[in-house]
Amino acid sequence: MQDKQVTKKLEDAGEEILKQIDKGENPNYELPIRNLNNIFFDEKSKTIKLGDKTSSRQFLNVAHSRKFMQTMLVAAGLKKVIKEQATTSIRDLFYNMKHTIEGTDENTFDTQDESDPLIEDLEASLNVLREELHLIATPKGLVAGEVKIKEAGGSVIDVSKMGSSGWAVPSNVEPEKIEIKEVDADYVLFIEKYATWNRFNEDQFWKKGKCILLTGKGQPARAERRFAQRLAKEQGLPIYALCDADPWGYYIYSVIKQGSISLSYSEEKLANPDTKFIGLTTQDAAEFKIPKDAQIKLNKEDLKRLAEMKDYSWFKKKEWQKEFDYMKEKGFKMELEALSAKSIRFITETYLPKKIQTKDFLP
Amino acid sequence: MPEEKEDKKETAGSTADDLAKEFKEHSVAEFFKKNRQMLGLTGKIKTLTVIVHEYVTNSLDACEEAKILPDIEVKLSEIGEEYYELYVRDNGPGLTKETVGKALGQLLAGTKFHRLIQQRGQQGIGAAGCTMFSLISTGKPIQVISGTSHGKAFKCDLTIDPKINSSKIMNLEDIDKPFKGVAIKAKFKEVKYQKSDQSPLEYLRRTAISNPHAKISFTEPDGTTTTFERSSKDIPKKPTPIQPHPKGVTVDELLTMAKYTKSRKVSSFLKDELDRMGDKAIEEISKSVDFDLNTDPKKLAWEQAEEIVKQFKKIQFIAPRLDSLIPIGEERIKKSIMGIVEPEFLEVVERKPTVYKGGFPFCVEVGIAYGGNAGRQAGTDEDGRNVWKSEILRFANRTPLLFDTGGCALTQAAQSIDWKRYGIKDFDNSPLTIFIHLLSVHIPYTGAGKQAVSPEEEVMEELRLALMDAGRKIYRFIGYQRKMAEKEAKRKMYYKYASEVATAIAELTEKKKEPIEKKLHEIVLKHLKLEEKKEAEEAKKMEGLTEEEIEREYEKKKAKEKKEKDAVKKKSKEDDE
Repeated sequence: MQDKQVTKKLEDAGEEILKQIDKGENPNYELPIRNLNNIFFDEKSKTIKLGDKTSSRQFLNVAHSRKFMQTMLVAAGLKKVIKEQATTSIRDLFYNMKHTIEGTDENTFDTQDESDPLIEDLEASLNVLREELHLIATPKGLVAGEVKIKEAGGSVIDVSKMGSSGWAVPSNVEPEKIEIKEVDADYVLFIEKYATWNRFNEDQFWKKGKCILLTGKGQPARAERRFAQRLAKEQGLPIYALCDADPWGYYIYSVIKQGSISLSYSEEKLANPDTKFIGLTTQDAAEFKIPKDAQIKLNKEDLKRLAEMKDYSWFKKKEWQKEFDYMKEKGFKMELEALSAKSIRFITETYLPKKIQTKDFLP
Repeated sequence: MPEEKEDKKETAGSTADDLAKEFKEHSVAEFFKKNRQMLGLTGKIKTLTVIVHEYVTNSLDACEEAKILPDIEVKLSEIGEEYYELYVRDNGPGLTKETVGKALGQLLAGTKFHRLIQQRGQQGIGAAGCTMFSLISTGKPIQVISGTSHGKAFKCDLTIDPKINSSKIMNLEDIDKPFKGVAIKAKFKEVKYQKSDQSPLEYLRRTAISNPHAKISFTEPDGTTTTFERSSKDIPKKPTPIQPHPKGVTVDELLTMAKYTKSRKVSSFLKDELDRMGDKAIEEISKSVDFDLNTDPKKLAWEQAEEIVKQFKKIQFIAPRLDSLIPIGEERIKKSIMGIVEPEFLEVVERKPTVYKGGFPFCVEVGIAYGGNAGRQAGTDEDGRNVWKSEILRFANRTPLLFDTGGCALTQAAQSIDWKRYGIKDFDNSPLTIFIHLLSVHIPYTGAGKQAVSPEEEVMEELRLALMDAGRKIYRFIGYQRKMAEKEAKRKMYYKYASEVATAIAELTEKKKEPIEKKLHEIVLKHLKLEEKKEAEEAKKMEGLTEEEIEREYEKKKAKEKKEKDAVKKKSKEDDE
């Protein structure tokens, strides 16, 4: 989408509110509800999609008023960013909009947590991508492997020569920004944790295993997921996820595979429905004889989250239900580092090769 | 001196016998010279207040008697360290050369017999006690100017000869200028003026509240003059002495009365000596007791008296005669408090007279003043806003009670109320003036100091009922006030955000901000008005509900609102990591 079109969308939203004000109506803004009650798993695309329920954010509502004001500020702020042809981080935007309301001691925004969801609200309601709004999230993803990247207007980067630090995923990985070239890999290994990614990179596993190592350092940002999607779509590479054996690790896998609830409006561009889960699973504990000491007892939060996930429609496959039941029954979880309890290179030399060889995946 | 004996009993309570003994040996004046505390003049600050009280009470009583609207001027000057001169002038009937000595120079001379009549109490030992104290502390006489409506006015110096309890009048001379009333100038040492809840100023403020027909001005030592204007031109009617009411009479009292009665039969004795006792009641008693009511009352046995009193409890009597008690009156209290306390809102409740044990009619009047200048200002908070504390103004037969606050039934009654029920969240820290007036032909004081009322069951009950009634009325106001405050807070919030919204919309649409903001303000006001209308309709639905139902509805509504709020919060938190 062109900047002009995006700007027009923002202006139209403003005009709509102005019309209401001129008519003496309570200014309100319709936006899609972005929570569990308004998403569904689309069997066709195999991704999470946003439903059509909307809610109205009203100026004259004690509970909405501040948010309404903030939403308007975000819209105006975005228009400015696009006009100035700059690319701004969502943090910059937050600081740009944050000020004390005249004659009061109240800030328009107190924390970035207040502005971030409103940006997503606008993305969803205007149906624009974050990149089209000239916004970036702080990039944190890293890549290692046999791949070359050509940045628009820049030089070609040989990721295999990036050494231990790897190549940092830029915030915008759309085709007009980067080109993915000369991939020599059989699959993508999407690793939850940086420490584990680092182990694999240090062991140059990408060479041995013929894969591309990717991490989002925890919950991956959209850039990492979009990059993985491009590798899958353009290069035909399967994606395997390697996460902690706990409800949070499983959820990260779920986000990589079918998308997140809050970004459900743009999951078709981000999700990787063919991703498979390599591990870790609690069932691996017995299979690989992981010492009991490396197991962590499930706490109340874990159990609550586990129960929630068991109910998600996209986790209804029997293999996953079995894993959830097993975890609940055994009452423990494990981090990827648990494999190091066997030996430092156990994960790269024994665990992963065996898993891939036996195709011991969860769907 | 039969008069003195009567009074000794009243002022000294249980030590009456000891006092009587001493009185035989010394003159009254000598006695008090040795026992200054018995003048009620203990404490340097309290003493000044009590002295002012004595003079002002005298003036008010004299004016009332003569049906004159009182105009009282009080002036206090500091003439040395803990050394003051007090000037009190009234426009009353005045004293004559013959009466001035007895009124101001003879201890206990002016005090009244123990009789069942509503009267302003004396706290010390009367105006003569002040003369006495002036003599004791300074060695100086007091100066008096007085004039009646006829004859020439005069002036004199006056003091007490302690040896013979008699006044000593010096420098008596007529004056040519017309003068009506009494003016007294007296010096006192070992006293101290200090602004406090117990200062003469506060005493006079409260006196003015309970005597709306009086104009009282007070000049403090620093020259500040405060005038409490009269808010009513009605001079209080004179209370009449009355007989005990059967509902409250005790066996002992009944037997004592029977001993001295002139009636020949028990039946006529009961009818003659007790209030509201009719033939029908006598008939009922006669049917229920197993002795003849035609017998001589002097021969009434304890058991028989006991049976009669038991019957009194069962029989319905008419309430005591209202004319034995002269309340200030709801309207007059309202005007008075509005003028002097200047609250934002005021409710006054006057209860019907009833009886507490002993057959003493009493009646309570209470007022709750809220907001405005009600309460005591206790400094300011960090933001410079005034901090208010509540105050309880106690009165017994129109006389303010300033001391012994905690031990007083009037205070206890106010504190026993669950004020939260009436929208007063923090009783101690609210802009609140509670006015409590107890009238009775016999105020049940806790002690000789007459500064606190004892918590008689019936009195407490009446006080509580009156306070709760006033509380209910004020609740509506406070609720309304709170609602208005909430509305204003809402308006401010919307206006605050309107400015930001207008800026953003102006930027998005490339229009001017000001007209947008103005329009938004109009929308906000329209919206709030609509909301108010809806609430009024809802309130209308609430009418006709009992208080408990309203409370339940309120709780329900609160719970619902909270749930909604939580839901909004949850919604914004929900979403994944």
